[in-house]
Amino acid sequence: MSTLTLPDTSPTRESGSHWAVETHGLTKRFGDNIAVNGVELLIPRGCAFGYLGPNGAGKTTLIRVLLGLTHADAGTMSLLGYPVPKRRAAALARVGAIVDEPRFHGHLTGRQNLQLLAAAREPAARERIVPALERVGILHRADDRVSKYSMGMRQRLGVAACLLGDPQLLILDEPMNGLDPAGMHEMRDMILSLVAEGRTVVLSSHLLDEVERTCDAVAIVDRGKVIRQGPIAQLLAGSSFEVQVECSEPDRARRLLDAATFGAHVQVGPDGLAITLPGGTGRDVIGEVNRVLVEGGISVYRLQHVQASLESWFLEVTSRLGAPE
Amino acid sequence: MTTISDIGAPAPGPAPDTIPAATRGDHRGSWIPTWGMITTRFMELRKRRGLIIALIAVNIGIPVVFLAVRLISHAVDPKSYGPAGGYTIFTTLVLGFMYIFGFIVAAVVGCTAGSVDLTEGMFRHLVITGRSRLALYLARIPAGLAIVIAMVAVGYTIVCAVCVFAAPTQLNYDGINVPQGLSRPALDNWAAAHADEVICNFNYNGPNPPPNIPCGNGTSSGGPGPGAVVKTPQGTVIPVHVTQAQLRAFAVTMANQAYSDYRSYFLAPSTSSMIDVGLWIALEAAIGFTVGLGLASLMGQRTVPVILLVVLELILTPIFSRHVIAHLVNVERGIVGVAMLHIEPGGLPTPFSGGGPGGGGGGGPGGLMLIPESTLAASLVIVGWIVFWTAIGAWRMMTRDA
Repeated sequence: MSTLTLPDTSPTRESGSHWAVETHGLTKRFGDNIAVNGVELLIPRGCAFGYLGPNGAGKTTLIRVLLGLTHADAGTMSLLGYPVPKRRAAALARVGAIVDEPRFHGHLTGRQNLQLLAAAREPAARERIVPALERVGILHRADDRVSKYSMGMRQRLGVAACLLGDPQLLILDEPMNGLDPAGMHEMRDMILSLVAEGRTVVLSSHLLDEVERTCDAVAIVDRGKVIRQGPIAQLLAGSSFEVQVECSEPDRARRLLDAATFGAHVQVGPDGLAITLPGGTGRDVIGEVNRVLVEGGISVYRLQHVQASLESWFLEVTSRLGAPE
Repeated sequence: MTTISDIGAPAPGPAPDTIPAATRGDHRGSWIPTWGMITTRFMELRKRRGLIIALIAVNIGIPVVFLAVRLISHAVDPKSYGPAGGYTIFTTLVLGFMYIFGFIVAAVVGCTAGSVDLTEGMFRHLVITGRSRLALYLARIPAGLAIVIAMVAVGYTIVCAVCVFAAPTQLNYDGINVPQGLSRPALDNWAAAHADEVICNFNYNGPNPPPNIPCGNGTSSGGPGPGAVVKTPQGTVIPVHVTQAQLRAFAVTMANQAYSDYRSYFLAPSTSSMIDVGLWIALEAAIGFTVGLGLASLMGQRTVPVILLVVLELILTPIFSRHVIAHLVNVERGIVGVAMLHIEPGGLPTPFSGGGPGGGGGGGPGGLMLIPESTLAASLVIVGWIVFWTAIGAWRMMTRDA
């Protein structure tokens, strides 16, 4: 199990200025229900960060607390180094966010909605309206009423609204909702390009495949708590993985491997053996598997290491920790 | 063990106490809305087609149609239809319609401005900009008032223009044509010269019944027709033979009684009267907008606040302005509509009396039966309503979860 270790004594932590998002003990209650439960979250600058969790895990509530849309009951937080809510205005000046489904005034055009939002930002925001519309690919529909927009177009308009403030931090809650495959591809490319420009993108999504393709690091939240966070590669490296073996005499091969002490779970399938090894097992175990089989007189035709996907890891983690307590 | 910092050294960020260079000078935390916020909010309201159509229909459309019909009717058949304008039409339109429905439509605009950001999902976008929530709220007030007051002003200007330029040339008082602006002695002289018409048409309130003289059918033409005894003066009980001198003396008495009422009749509204009344109905509309804005912001929706304000204006205010409820008299005085009636420009009838000079009885401004309230108290009530509902709306805006 991978856990987050905070560099408690590092100067960057103390200054609070090197993290795009930093929370400590953040808590939000709705009556008896604790939606956000003592969350410790550190999101470094300049990366794409996935924020994952099952439905009702508290993802959107945490985002709302971070953005000052609702107040926290306990804990501290900062955005781009500014403590919130004390320096909320300064913090949000360089933050763009979509929370839940992006909704706008339907009787206004996309451009007019952005004018309304730009007026609440700094004067330069007005000059960013056209580039933002162009970047999200709806400039040609900018003068149509939003009531005529599809869900996907409203998502794009939401991202355009985020870009008005030339944000250093973008928080996107389910930005792929309503997008067709081509739109999702474009959105992914746009997020990657935003990160390439040095911005931080926090992506809350249930599309784990998209998160895996887009993000550098993730946090898993369940029941209001962050239960795992870290770089995706490291998190997956610590998860169980599978070795597929194509060989002669699969049943005898299974018995041989069961007798060995790898802690592996071996299943016989139509394509051979599927060996599931626990998280933390070194890659040298794969060689050991090969040795045991060959020494047992089994002919090994193919042996393949299959890394767990983010989705399978997510399901593994949340099913293990999300069970009723 | 994994650490977040393993994915790369975090880029250096701003010192916590510095302001991003690009946002310097935008006063994002200030409670004062920027000009851009006001103009874009104005645009947002102006683009609401249904709302603007309703505003135009009530403040401009209905008065214009009413006056147009009167102008055409008078042009086609001047004997059957009187002039389109004049003081009576002015008071009927302005007080009987524009005052009451101007408030209601302004309240609808206020309720819209106070709730649509929430119901249409824009509130969250606006809050995320980091702009002061109070500034976001206050930006709606000048934007909404610019629309409401402009509509009221246009409609009112049209009404004033028609009422002045298409005013009657003779004053019709109690059904007979009387010269306008007579002094008391002049009215007495005129009454003496038109004794039969005065006796047959003016109201009389005194111990001695008026003499029994024959009155013509249709008193407006005045004077008794020979042998055509169709109507006798009101209250006539004793037929007596009277001389012309006695008739003239009685007519003078009746004219004296009617003088204070007669003074409230004009051929056309005066300039000062039009300014006073215009400011008064603009204030009423502004109150409607402000209260609607605050109430809708408090409740987070439009429908219920609109219903509440319609009930306030059409039901509660007429009742509370005329009926003294012993234990609730101070509550009645605290109703903004009642207070507004107390600062009504002098000489006008009450908006809830059906319009027209002299239509409201007597007792208060314009001769109304209003519950007693000083002008100072009424002014404080009005200011209190504006301040209270603005504060309540702003407070809710600042504390509401987005």
